[in-house]
Amino acid sequence: MKKLSVVVAGTGQIRDVEIQPGTTAGDILHQLNLPDYLLSKGPNEPFFAASESVYDKVKDGEKIFASTKAEVGIALCA
Amino acid sequence: MRVKYVGTRPAPASIREFISQVVRGRAPAISVRRREIPYWRERGWTRTGNHYTGSYQTPYAAFQGRIEEERSGRISFYLYSPSPQIRNHSHWICFTARGNEWYLVHMARRPKDVSSGILTIERLITEAYES
Repeated sequence: MKKLSVVVAGTGQIRDVEIQPGTTAGDILHQLNLPDYLLSKGPNEPFFAASESVYDKVKDGEKIFASTKAEVGIALCA
Repeated sequence: MRVKYVGTRPAPASIREFISQVVRGRAPAISVRRREIPYWRERGWTRTGNHYTGSYQTPYAAFQGRIEEERSGRISFYLYSPSPQIRNHSHWICFTARGNEWYLVHMARRPKDVSSGILTIERLITEAYES
């Protein structure tokens, strides 16, 4: 088991979770009832895909971010 | 085997401190409370009414920024004086000049809050410098 602190970027609220090996980003977001959000380790790291296992990519006690989905672009470059 | 006595010397400071702590006992642990603040404030942005000012920060560069949040919920993100790396990035087409070196960053998918937008633009800047 690993403990994670999920920071909801918009509010700063911190949600503590414990995850087991194989837990995906989608599992965490579902558990926290954040369906329109994406998880990342920060602005310089890519988003975790919903089906991606998070367990072996985070350290015990690490803080990760949940932010709403957004994309820079217009019709031509989105 | 014979042992030759060569004298005494003080123990290293780390060992003296350890022994001193054992003798004194440990001081009670201080519980540090976590700050639960929005990402925009954590990154040093300030808010005046519906306007935010601050900077988009990455390990490569930081850019002055401005954000306007309308009552409708629509949020506009501006970036000041983009670097050549940003201008050469594939998403440069998404930047619209607004005068005086300010650029509106167009969002194909709009974030629901200011913090998520800042994270998105910081990620874009990082991509521009890594590509």
